[in-house]
Amino acid sequence: MIRRRLRGPAVAATFALVLTAGSTAACERPQGWTGARHIAGKTWSAWWRSAPAAIPIGAHFSIRFRLCGPPVRRVRVRGWMPVHRHGMNYRPGVTLSGRSGAAEGLLFHMPGRWQLILDIAGDAGKEKLTAETVLE
Amino acid sequence: MAVIIKKFPVAYCILLIFPLLALAALPAAAGEFTAGERRKILRHGPWPLSAVPDPSNRVSGKPAAIAFGKALFFETRLSLSGTISCATCHRPDAGWTDGLARSRGHEAVDRNALSLFNLRVNRWFGWDGAQDTLWAQNLRPLIDKREMGVGATGAARLVRADGRLACGYRQAFGEAPGANDERVFVDLGKAMAAFLETLVTGRTPFDDFRDALARNDAAGRARYPAAAKRGLRLFVGRGNCAFCHFGPAFTNGEFADAGVPHFAGPGRADPGRFGGIRKLRKSRYTLLGGFNDDPARSTAVKTRHVRLAHSNFGEFRVPGLRNAALTAPYMHAGSLRTLADVVRHYSTLDEERLHAGGERILRRLDLSAQEQGDLVAFLETLTEREPGPKVGRRNGDLQCR
Repeated sequence: MIRRRLRGPAVAATFALVLTAGSTAACERPQGWTGARHIAGKTWSAWWRSAPAAIPIGAHFSIRFRLCGPPVRRVRVRGWMPVHRHGMNYRPGVTLSGRSGAAEGLLFHMPGRWQLILDIAGDAGKEKLTAETVLE
Repeated sequence: MAVIIKKFPVAYCILLIFPLLALAALPAAAGEFTAGERRKILRHGPWPLSAVPDPSNRVSGKPAAIAFGKALFFETRLSLSGTISCATCHRPDAGWTDGLARSRGHEAVDRNALSLFNLRVNRWFGWDGAQDTLWAQNLRPLIDKREMGVGATGAARLVRADGRLACGYRQAFGEAPGANDERVFVDLGKAMAAFLETLVTGRTPFDDFRDALARNDAAGRARYPAAAKRGLRLFVGRGNCAFCHFGPAFTNGEFADAGVPHFAGPGRADPGRFGGIRKLRKSRYTLLGGFNDDPARSTAVKTRHVRLAHSNFGEFRVPGLRNAALTAPYMHAGSLRTLADVVRHYSTLDEERLHAGGERILRRLDLSAQEQGDLVAFLETLTEREPGPKVGRRNGDLQCR
Protein backbone atom coordinates (compact mmCIF):
# COMPACT_ATOMS: atom_id res chain seq x y z
CA MET A 1 0.00 0.00 0.00
CA ILE A 2 1.33 3.39 -0.88
CA ARG A 3 0.15 6.74 0.36
CA ARG A 4 1.10 10.11 -0.91
CA ARG A 5 0.67 13.65 0.26
CA LEU A 6 1.71 16.83 -1.47
CA ARG A 7 2.51 19.86 0.59
CA GLY A 8 1.50 23.39 -0.38
CA PRO A 9 4.58 25.03 -1.91
CA ALA A 10 4.97 22.31 -4.50
CA VAL A 11 1.54 22.62 -6.04
CA ALA A 12 2.26 25.50 -8.43
CA ALA A 13 5.40 23.91 -9.75
CA THR A 14 4.00 20.48 -10.32
CA PHE A 15 2.46 20.98 -13.76
CA ALA A 16 5.67 22.20 -15.33
CA LEU A 17 7.82 19.67 -13.56
CA VAL A 18 6.04 16.59 -14.80
CA LEU A 19 7.11 17.54 -18.31
CA THR A 20 10.80 17.63 -17.46
CA ALA A 21 13.27 14.79 -17.82
CA GLY A 22 13.50 12.62 -14.71
CA SER A 23 9.90 13.31 -13.76
CA THR A 24 7.87 10.82 -11.77
CA ALA A 25 6.12 9.63 -14.93
CA ALA A 26 9.33 8.16 -16.29
CA CYS A 27 10.78 6.69 -13.16
CA GLU A 28 12.39 3.42 -14.04
CA ARG A 29 13.56 0.86 -11.56
CA PRO A 30 17.36 1.13 -11.24
CA GLN A 31 19.19 -1.74 -12.87
CA GLY A 32 19.82 -4.69 -10.59
CA TRP A 33 17.44 -3.46 -7.91
CA THR A 34 15.49 -6.67 -7.70
CA GLY A 35 12.81 -6.48 -5.06
CA ALA A 36 12.94 -2.69 -4.90
CA ARG A 37 9.66 -0.94 -4.10
CA HIS A 38 8.24 2.19 -5.66
CA ILE A 39 6.60 5.15 -3.95
CA ALA A 40 4.93 7.70 -6.20
CA GLY A 41 4.24 11.28 -5.24
CA LYS A 42 3.10 14.19 -7.35
CA THR A 43 6.44 15.92 -7.62
CA TRP A 44 8.85 13.14 -6.80
CA SER A 45 8.79 9.40 -6.74
CA ALA A 46 11.30 6.94 -5.40
CA TRP A 47 12.56 3.43 -5.74
CA TRP A 48 13.87 2.05 -2.49
CA ARG A 49 15.22 -1.18 -1.14
CA SER A 50 16.39 -2.24 2.28
CA ALA A 51 19.39 -4.17 3.51
CA PRO A 52 18.68 -6.81 4.61
CA ALA A 53 16.00 -7.25 1.94
CA ALA A 54 13.40 -8.30 4.52
CA ILE A 55 13.14 -5.55 7.11
CA PRO A 56 13.86 -7.17 10.48
CA ILE A 57 12.00 -6.43 13.71
CA GLY A 58 14.24 -5.11 16.44
CA ALA A 59 17.45 -4.94 14.42
CA HIS A 60 19.05 -2.12 12.49
CA PHE A 61 18.69 -1.92 8.75
CA SER A 62 19.57 0.54 6.03
CA ILE A 63 17.93 1.60 2.80
CA ARG A 64 19.08 2.88 -0.56
CA PHE A 65 16.81 5.02 -2.67
CA ARG A 66 16.74 6.59 -6.12
CA LEU A 67 14.52 9.60 -6.69
CA CYS A 68 12.86 10.75 -9.87
CA GLY A 69 11.71 14.33 -10.32
CA PRO A 70 13.24 17.78 -10.01
CA PRO A 71 16.50 18.39 -8.18
CA VAL A 72 16.50 17.52 -4.51
CA ARG A 73 18.13 19.57 -1.80
CA ARG A 74 17.46 17.45 1.27
CA VAL A 75 15.92 14.10 2.20
CA ARG A 76 14.98 13.02 5.68
CA VAL A 77 14.10 9.38 6.34
CA ARG A 78 11.97 8.30 9.28
CA GLY A 79 9.65 5.57 10.46
CA TRP A 80 6.20 5.86 11.95
CA MET A 81 3.82 3.36 13.51
CA PRO A 82 0.39 4.90 12.92
CA VAL A 83 -1.65 2.62 15.17
CA HIS A 84 0.62 3.25 18.16
CA ARG A 85 1.42 6.82 17.13
CA HIS A 86 5.14 6.62 17.66
CA GLY A 87 8.21 6.74 15.50
CA MET A 88 11.60 5.12 15.75
CA ASN A 89 13.98 5.48 18.66
CA TYR A 90 16.74 6.26 16.17
CA ARG A 91 17.40 9.13 13.80
CA PRO A 92 18.76 7.72 10.54
CA GLY A 93 21.73 9.35 8.86
CA VAL A 94 21.06 10.19 5.20
CA THR A 95 23.64 10.65 2.47
CA LEU A 96 22.51 12.13 -0.81
CA SER A 97 24.32 12.32 -4.10
CA GLY A 98 22.17 13.88 -6.82
CA ARG A 99 19.02 11.81 -6.83
CA SER A 100 20.58 8.76 -5.21
CA GLY A 101 20.73 8.32 -1.52
CA ALA A 102 21.12 5.99 1.41
CA ALA A 103 19.97 6.00 4.99
CA GLU A 104 21.46 4.00 7.83
CA GLY A 105 20.46 3.55 11.45
CA LEU A 106 16.81 2.62 10.97
CA LEU A 107 15.22 0.25 13.47
CA PHE A 108 11.58 -0.82 13.68
CA HIS A 109 11.30 -2.03 17.25
CA MET A 110 7.87 -3.67 17.20
CA PRO A 111 5.83 -5.98 15.01
CA GLY A 112 2.90 -4.41 13.19
CA ARG A 113 2.25 -1.82 10.50
CA TRP A 114 5.04 0.68 9.93
CA GLN A 115 5.40 3.58 7.53
CA LEU A 116 8.75 4.35 5.95
CA ILE A 117 8.67 8.05 5.17
CA LEU A 118 10.92 10.09 2.88
CA ASP A 119 10.57 13.83 3.48
CA ILE A 120 11.90 15.44 0.34
CA ALA A 121 12.77 19.10 -0.09
CA GLY A 122 13.94 20.91 -3.19
CA ASP A 123 13.35 24.13 -5.10
CA ALA A 124 10.11 22.60 -6.32
CA GLY A 125 8.81 22.42 -2.78
CA LYS A 126 8.41 19.70 -0.22
CA GLU A 127 6.79 16.31 -0.40
CA LYS A 128 6.31 13.34 1.88
CA LEU A 129 6.56 9.92 0.26
CA THR A 130 5.19 7.13 2.42
CA ALA A 131 5.60 3.40 1.96
CA GLU A 132 3.78 1.01 4.26
CA THR A 133 4.99 -2.34 5.43
CA VAL A 134 3.64 -4.86 7.89
CA LEU A 135 6.21 -6.67 10.00
CA GLU A 136 5.24 -9.97 11.57
CA MET B 1 -25.80 -26.12 -5.49
CA ALA B 2 -23.66 -27.60 -8.33
CA VAL B 3 -25.34 -25.25 -10.78
CA ILE B 4 -24.61 -22.28 -8.66
CA ILE B 5 -20.99 -23.27 -8.42
CA LYS B 6 -20.66 -23.85 -12.17
CA LYS B 7 -22.25 -20.58 -13.02
CA PHE B 8 -20.58 -18.60 -10.33
CA PRO B 9 -16.98 -19.70 -9.71
CA VAL B 10 -16.67 -16.89 -7.17
CA ALA B 11 -19.41 -18.48 -5.14
CA TYR B 12 -17.46 -21.72 -5.25
CA CYS B 13 -14.41 -19.98 -3.92
CA ILE B 14 -16.40 -18.39 -1.14
CA LEU B 15 -17.99 -21.69 -0.21
CA LEU B 16 -14.60 -23.35 -0.11
CA ILE B 17 -12.49 -20.65 1.42
CA PHE B 18 -14.85 -19.14 3.94
CA PRO B 19 -15.05 -22.20 6.16
CA LEU B 20 -11.26 -22.53 6.04
CA LEU B 21 -10.81 -18.90 7.04
CA ALA B 22 -13.39 -19.29 9.73
CA LEU B 23 -11.56 -22.32 11.06
CA ALA B 24 -8.24 -20.50 11.01
CA ALA B 25 -9.66 -17.59 12.97
CA LEU B 26 -11.57 -19.72 15.43
CA PRO B 27 -10.58 -19.14 19.03
CA ALA B 28 -8.90 -22.24 20.26
CA ALA B 29 -11.55 -23.66 22.49
CA ALA B 30 -9.79 -27.01 22.45
CA GLY B 31 -6.39 -25.54 23.27
CA GLU B 32 -5.30 -25.18 19.65
CA PHE B 33 -4.13 -21.92 18.18
CA THR B 34 -5.16 -20.04 15.08
CA ALA B 35 -2.68 -19.67 12.21
CA GLY B 36 -2.06 -16.06 13.24
CA GLU B 37 -1.41 -17.01 16.84
CA ARG B 38 0.94 -19.79 15.76
CA ARG B 39 3.00 -17.34 13.72
CA LYS B 40 3.27 -15.03 16.71
CA ILE B 41 4.21 -17.86 19.06
CA LEU B 42 6.86 -19.29 16.75
CA ARG B 43 8.77 -16.04 16.64
CA HIS B 44 9.60 -16.47 20.35
CA GLY B 45 12.15 -19.09 19.42
CA PRO B 46 14.12 -21.12 18.71
CA TRP B 47 16.13 -21.08 21.93
CA PRO B 48 18.96 -20.85 22.77
CA LEU B 49 20.37 -18.44 20.23
CA SER B 50 23.80 -19.06 18.79
CA ALA B 51 26.63 -17.22 20.51
CA VAL B 52 28.32 -14.44 18.58
CA PRO B 53 31.44 -12.83 20.10
CA ASP B 54 31.25 -9.10 20.75
CA PRO B 55 33.62 -7.46 18.23
CA SER B 56 34.12 -4.45 20.52
CA ASN B 57 35.68 -6.75 23.12
CA ARG B 58 38.85 -8.53 21.98
CA VAL B 59 38.52 -11.19 24.70
CA SER B 60 34.82 -11.97 24.20
CA GLY B 61 34.34 -15.73 24.17
CA LYS B 62 37.93 -16.54 25.24
CA PRO B 63 38.08 -19.15 28.03
CA ALA B 64 40.97 -17.46 29.88
CA ALA B 65 39.06 -14.17 29.92
CA ILE B 66 35.88 -15.92 31.09
CA ALA B 67 37.79 -17.46 34.01
CA PHE B 68 39.45 -14.13 34.86
CA GLY B 69 36.12 -12.28 34.59
CA LYS B 70 34.50 -14.79 36.89
CA ALA B 71 37.22 -14.21 39.51
CA LEU B 72 36.75 -10.44 39.21
CA PHE B 73 32.97 -10.78 39.56
CA PHE B 74 33.38 -12.27 43.04
CA GLU B 75 36.30 -10.02 44.07
CA THR B 76 35.37 -7.83 47.05
CA ARG B 77 38.62 -5.87 46.84
CA LEU B 78 37.15 -4.15 43.80
CA SER B 79 35.12 -2.04 46.24
CA LEU B 80 36.30 0.89 48.34
CA SER B 81 35.38 -0.87 51.58
CA GLY B 82 36.73 -4.25 50.48
CA THR B 83 33.40 -5.84 51.39
CA ILE B 84 31.29 -5.63 48.24
CA SER B 85 31.58 -7.52 44.98
CA CYS B 86 29.38 -7.63 41.90
CA ALA B 87 27.88 -10.79 43.39
CA THR B 88 26.60 -8.81 46.40
CA CYS B 89 23.75 -7.45 44.27
CA HIS B 90 23.83 -10.14 41.58
CA ARG B 91 23.69 -13.37 43.55
CA PRO B 92 24.02 -16.59 41.54
CA ASP B 93 21.60 -18.31 43.93
CA ALA B 94 18.96 -15.58 43.56
CA GLY B 95 18.54 -15.36 39.78
CA TRP B 96 21.61 -13.10 39.59
CA THR B 97 19.77 -10.36 41.44
CA ASP B 98 19.39 -9.69 45.17
CA GLY B 99 15.70 -9.93 45.96
CA LEU B 100 15.63 -6.31 47.13
CA ALA B 101 13.38 -3.65 45.67
CA ARG B 102 16.25 -1.18 45.45
CA SER B 103 19.74 -2.53 45.71
CA ARG B 104 22.37 -1.57 48.24
CA GLY B 105 26.12 -1.35 47.83
CA HIS B 106 27.84 1.10 50.17
CA GLU B 107 24.52 2.96 50.06
CA ALA B 108 21.06 2.27 48.74
CA VAL B 109 20.58 3.12 45.07
CA ASP B 110 17.45 4.19 43.21
CA ARG B 111 16.94 1.06 41.15
CA ASN B 112 16.41 -2.65 41.31
CA ALA B 113 19.37 -4.89 40.43
CA LEU B 114 18.70 -6.31 36.98
CA SER B 115 19.22 -10.01 36.56
CA LEU B 116 22.25 -11.03 34.50
CA PHE B 117 20.55 -13.66 32.36
CA ASN B 118 21.02 -13.46 28.58
CA LEU B 119 22.91 -10.17 28.62
CA ARG B 120 24.66 -11.07 25.41
CA VAL B 121 21.50 -10.38 23.41
CA ASN B 122 21.07 -6.86 24.81
CA ARG B 123 21.41 -3.80 22.61
CA TRP B 124 21.64 -1.43 25.60
CA PHE B 125 22.60 -2.06 29.21
CA GLY B 126 21.14 -0.93 32.52
CA TRP B 127 17.59 0.20 33.23
CA ASP B 128 18.24 3.42 31.32
CA GLY B 129 20.50 2.04 28.61
CA ALA B 130 23.27 4.48 29.50
CA GLN B 131 25.83 1.95 28.29
CA ASP B 132 26.06 0.50 24.81
CA THR B 133 28.27 -2.48 25.70
CA LEU B 134 28.37 -5.04 28.44
CA TRP B 135 31.97 -4.14 29.23
CA ALA B 136 31.05 -0.49 29.76
CA GLN B 137 28.14 -1.51 31.96
CA ASN B 138 30.56 -3.45 34.18
CA LEU B 139 32.61 -0.30 34.81
CA ARG B 140 29.67 1.75 36.11
CA PRO B 141 29.33 0.19 39.61
CA LEU B 142 33.11 0.20 39.99
CA ILE B 143 33.03 3.98 39.56
CA ASP B 144 29.83 4.76 41.50
CA LYS B 145 30.77 5.24 45.17
CA ARG B 146 27.26 4.22 46.28
CA GLU B 147 27.94 0.80 44.79
CA MET B 148 31.56 -0.40 44.72
CA GLY B 149 33.40 2.81 43.91
CA VAL B 150 36.95 1.49 43.59
CA GLY B 151 37.55 3.64 40.49
CA ALA B 152 39.95 3.13 37.61
CA THR B 153 43.13 3.80 39.57
CA GLY B 154 42.17 1.60 42.52
CA ALA B 155 41.17 -1.29 40.29
CA ALA B 156 44.28 -1.10 38.13
CA ARG B 157 46.58 -0.91 41.17
CA LEU B 158 44.93 -3.97 42.70
CA VAL B 159 45.34 -6.04 39.54
CA ARG B 160 48.96 -5.02 39.07
CA ALA B 161 49.84 -5.71 42.72
CA ASP B 162 47.98 -8.98 43.27
CA GLY B 163 49.85 -11.98 41.87
CA ARG B 164 46.74 -14.07 41.19
CA LEU B 165 44.82 -11.27 39.44
CA ALA B 166 47.89 -10.14 37.48
CA CYS B 167 48.31 -13.74 36.30
CA GLY B 168 44.64 -13.86 35.32
CA TYR B 169 45.03 -10.63 33.37
CA ARG B 170 48.10 -12.02 31.55
CA GLN B 171 46.28 -15.20 30.61
CA ALA B 172 43.26 -13.29 29.38
CA PHE B 173 44.97 -10.49 27.47
CA GLY B 174 48.33 -12.08 26.58
CA GLU B 175 50.36 -9.40 28.36
CA ALA B 176 50.93 -8.01 31.84
CA PRO B 177 48.68 -5.19 33.00
CA GLY B 178 50.25 -1.98 31.70
CA ALA B 179 50.89 1.36 33.35
CA ASN B 180 47.80 3.04 31.94
CA ASP B 181 45.22 2.74 34.71
CA GLU B 182 42.23 3.49 32.52
CA ARG B 183 43.18 0.92 29.91
CA VAL B 184 43.64 -1.79 32.55
CA PHE B 185 40.34 -0.72 34.13
CA VAL B 186 38.45 -1.06 30.85
CA ASP B 187 40.06 -4.45 30.29
CA LEU B 188 38.63 -5.62 33.62
CA GLY B 189 35.19 -4.66 32.31
CA LYS B 190 35.88 -6.66 29.18
CA ALA B 191 36.99 -9.76 31.09
CA MET B 192 33.86 -9.58 33.25
CA ALA B 193 31.78 -9.18 30.08
CA ALA B 194 33.34 -12.38 28.71
CA PHE B 195 32.17 -14.15 31.86
CA LEU B 196 28.68 -12.63 31.92
CA GLU B 197 28.10 -13.51 28.27
CA THR B 198 28.10 -17.15 29.34
CA LEU B 199 25.07 -16.75 31.64
CA VAL B 200 22.48 -17.99 29.22
CA THR B 201 19.18 -19.47 30.34
CA GLY B 202 18.43 -23.04 29.39
CA ARG B 203 15.44 -24.63 27.73
CA THR B 204 12.02 -24.09 29.24
CA PRO B 205 8.61 -25.80 29.05
CA PHE B 206 7.57 -22.99 26.69
CA ASP B 207 10.47 -23.81 24.34
CA ASP B 208 9.40 -27.45 24.22
CA PHE B 209 5.85 -26.39 23.42
CA ARG B 210 6.94 -23.85 20.82
CA ASP B 211 9.14 -26.41 19.06
CA ALA B 212 6.35 -29.00 19.18
CA LEU B 213 4.10 -26.42 17.54
CA ALA B 214 6.74 -25.81 14.86
CA ARG B 215 6.99 -29.51 13.97
CA ASN B 216 3.27 -30.13 14.39
CA ASP B 217 3.83 -32.60 17.19
CA ALA B 218 0.45 -33.10 18.88
CA ALA B 219 1.85 -35.15 21.77
CA GLY B 220 4.46 -32.49 22.51
CA ARG B 221 1.85 -29.75 22.41
CA ALA B 222 -0.41 -31.67 24.75
CA ARG B 223 2.22 -31.72 27.49
CA TYR B 224 2.00 -27.92 27.88
CA PRO B 225 -0.46 -26.99 30.66
CA ALA B 226 -3.86 -25.68 29.59
CA ALA B 227 -3.58 -22.59 31.80
CA ALA B 228 -0.24 -21.70 30.21
CA LYS B 229 -1.80 -22.08 26.74
CA ARG B 230 -4.59 -19.69 27.69
CA GLY B 231 -2.04 -17.27 29.13
CA LEU B 232 0.08 -17.52 25.99
CA ARG B 233 -2.94 -16.66 23.88
CA LEU B 234 -3.46 -13.54 25.97
CA PHE B 235 0.25 -12.71 25.75
CA VAL B 236 0.36 -12.71 21.94
CA GLY B 237 -3.20 -11.43 21.57
CA ARG B 238 -5.41 -9.20 23.66
CA GLY B 239 -2.70 -8.48 26.21
CA ASN B 240 -0.49 -6.85 23.55
CA CYS B 241 2.50 -7.99 25.62
CA ALA B 242 4.43 -9.21 22.60
CA PHE B 243 4.76 -5.75 21.07
CA CYS B 244 7.52 -5.01 23.58
CA HIS B 245 8.34 -8.50 24.87
CA PHE B 246 9.17 -9.64 21.39
CA GLY B 247 11.34 -12.42 19.96
CA PRO B 248 13.25 -15.34 21.49
CA ALA B 249 14.48 -13.31 24.48
CA PHE B 250 11.03 -11.78 25.04
CA THR B 251 12.28 -8.22 24.72
CA ASN B 252 12.60 -5.80 21.84
CA GLY B 253 15.70 -4.40 23.53
CA GLU B 254 14.21 -0.93 23.86
CA PHE B 255 12.53 1.19 26.54
CA ALA B 256 8.98 1.93 27.56
CA ASP B 257 6.91 3.84 30.05
CA ALA B 258 5.02 1.09 31.85
CA GLY B 259 3.00 3.43 34.03
CA VAL B 260 5.12 2.77 37.09
CA PRO B 261 5.82 5.77 39.33
CA HIS B 262 9.32 7.03 38.66
CA PHE B 263 9.93 9.14 41.72
CA ALA B 264 13.25 8.10 43.20
CA GLY B 265 12.57 10.02 46.41
CA PRO B 266 10.64 13.02 47.66
CA GLY B 267 10.69 15.61 44.88
CA ARG B 268 13.22 13.60 42.90
CA ALA B 269 12.31 11.87 39.63
CA ASP B 270 14.27 9.14 37.90
CA PRO B 271 14.57 10.35 34.30
CA GLY B 272 15.04 6.82 32.99
CA ARG B 273 15.96 6.56 29.33
CA PHE B 274 16.13 10.33 28.93
CA GLY B 275 18.96 10.47 31.45
CA GLY B 276 20.47 7.31 30.01
CA ILE B 277 20.94 8.75 26.54
CA ARG B 278 22.43 11.93 27.98
CA LYS B 279 24.90 9.89 30.04
CA LEU B 280 25.75 7.78 27.02
CA ARG B 281 26.60 10.85 24.99
CA LYS B 282 28.95 12.14 27.68
CA SER B 283 30.66 8.81 28.35
CA ARG B 284 34.21 7.95 27.31
CA TYR B 285 33.30 4.27 27.40
CA THR B 286 31.11 3.81 24.36
CA LEU B 287 31.39 2.14 20.99
CA LEU B 288 32.29 5.52 19.50
CA GLY B 289 35.22 6.00 21.90
CA GLY B 290 38.81 4.86 21.92
CA PHE B 291 38.25 1.68 23.91
CA ASN B 292 36.27 -0.12 21.22
CA ASP B 293 38.47 -2.99 20.00
CA ASP B 294 36.70 -3.11 16.64
CA PRO B 295 38.38 -0.68 14.24
CA ALA B 296 35.41 -0.93 11.87
CA ARG B 297 32.98 0.16 14.63
CA SER B 298 30.66 -2.44 13.17
CA THR B 299 28.24 -2.46 16.11
CA ALA B 300 28.21 1.30 16.69
CA VAL B 301 25.22 2.09 14.46
CA LYS B 302 22.87 2.24 17.46
CA THR B 303 25.09 4.69 19.32
CA ARG B 304 25.53 6.96 16.32
CA HIS B 305 21.82 7.15 15.63
CA VAL B 306 20.04 6.90 18.97
CA ARG B 307 17.51 9.73 19.30
CA LEU B 308 16.89 11.74 22.45
CA ALA B 309 13.24 12.72 22.83
CA HIS B 310 11.22 14.21 25.64
CA SER B 311 9.08 11.06 25.60
CA ASN B 312 12.13 9.13 26.83
CA PHE B 313 11.54 10.64 30.26
CA GLY B 314 10.29 7.88 32.57
CA GLU B 315 11.01 5.11 30.10
CA PHE B 316 12.90 2.09 31.36
CA ARG B 317 14.30 -1.09 29.86
CA VAL B 318 11.87 -3.69 28.55
CA PRO B 319 13.41 -6.66 30.36
CA GLY B 320 13.61 -10.10 28.85
CA LEU B 321 11.21 -12.55 30.47
CA ARG B 322 13.24 -15.75 30.47
CA ASN B 323 13.62 -16.96 34.06
CA ALA B 324 11.50 -14.01 35.17
CA ALA B 325 9.97 -16.13 37.92
CA LEU B 326 13.40 -16.18 39.61
CA THR B 327 14.07 -12.46 39.57
CA ALA B 328 11.47 -10.78 41.79
CA PRO B 329 10.79 -8.03 42.66
CA TYR B 330 9.96 -6.36 39.35
CA MET B 331 10.11 -3.02 37.53
CA HIS B 332 12.94 -0.49 37.67
CA ALA B 333 12.53 0.29 41.37
CA GLY B 334 11.28 -3.14 42.44
CA SER B 335 7.81 -1.76 43.11
CA LEU B 336 5.97 -4.98 42.22
CA ARG B 337 6.69 -8.01 44.38
CA THR B 338 5.41 -10.90 42.29
CA LEU B 339 4.55 -11.83 38.71
CA ALA B 340 0.89 -11.75 39.79
CA ASP B 341 1.41 -8.12 40.87
CA VAL B 342 2.91 -7.31 37.47
CA VAL B 343 -0.04 -8.82 35.63
CA ARG B 344 -2.47 -7.01 37.94
CA HIS B 345 -0.60 -3.76 37.25
CA TYR B 346 -1.23 -4.03 33.50
CA SER B 347 -4.75 -5.26 34.06
CA THR B 348 -5.68 -2.23 36.13
CA LEU B 349 -3.29 0.23 34.49
CA ASP B 350 -3.97 3.88 35.16
CA GLU B 351 -3.60 5.29 31.65
CA GLU B 352 -3.51 8.82 33.04
CA ARG B 353 -0.16 8.00 34.58
CA LEU B 354 1.54 7.27 31.29
CA HIS B 355 3.83 9.94 29.89
CA ALA B 356 3.28 8.56 26.45
CA GLY B 357 3.25 11.79 24.46
CA GLY B 358 0.30 10.59 22.40
CA GLU B 359 1.51 7.02 22.05
CA ARG B 360 -1.15 4.34 22.13
CA ILE B 361 0.44 1.07 23.08
CA LEU B 362 -0.50 0.35 26.66
CA ARG B 363 -4.14 -0.03 27.54
CA ARG B 364 -5.84 -1.11 30.73
CA LEU B 365 -6.47 -4.83 30.11
CA ASP B 366 -9.27 -5.49 32.59
CA LEU B 367 -8.40 -9.18 32.87
CA SER B 368 -10.55 -11.50 34.95
CA ALA B 369 -8.99 -13.28 37.91
CA GLN B 370 -8.69 -16.46 35.85
CA GLU B 371 -7.08 -14.62 32.96
CA GLN B 372 -4.55 -13.07 35.31
CA GLY B 373 -3.78 -16.51 36.70
CA ASP B 374 -3.39 -17.88 33.18
CA LEU B 375 -0.95 -15.15 32.23
CA VAL B 376 1.13 -15.89 35.32
CA ALA B 377 1.01 -19.62 34.50
CA PHE B 378 2.40 -18.82 31.06
CA LEU B 379 5.14 -16.55 32.42
CA GLU B 380 6.21 -19.30 34.81
CA THR B 381 6.80 -21.63 31.86
CA LEU B 382 9.51 -19.24 30.67
CA THR B 383 11.67 -20.44 33.54
CA GLU B 384 14.14 -23.20 32.85
CA ARG B 385 13.47 -26.55 34.45
CA GLU B 386 16.66 -26.79 36.43
CA PRO B 387 17.57 -23.22 37.21
CA GLY B 388 20.56 -22.77 39.36
CA PRO B 389 23.86 -21.02 39.55
CA LYS B 390 25.73 -21.75 36.38
CA VAL B 391 29.00 -20.71 37.96
CA GLY B 392 31.37 -23.64 38.08
CA ARG B 393 29.18 -25.73 35.80
CA ARG B 394 29.73 -23.87 32.57
CA ASN B 395 32.80 -21.84 33.39
CA GLY B 396 36.33 -22.78 34.30
CA ASP B 397 38.22 -21.32 37.24
CA LEU B 398 41.24 -19.10 37.10
CA GLN B 399 44.38 -21.22 36.70
CA CYS B 400 46.52 -18.93 38.84
CA ARG B 401 47.64 -18.93 42.44
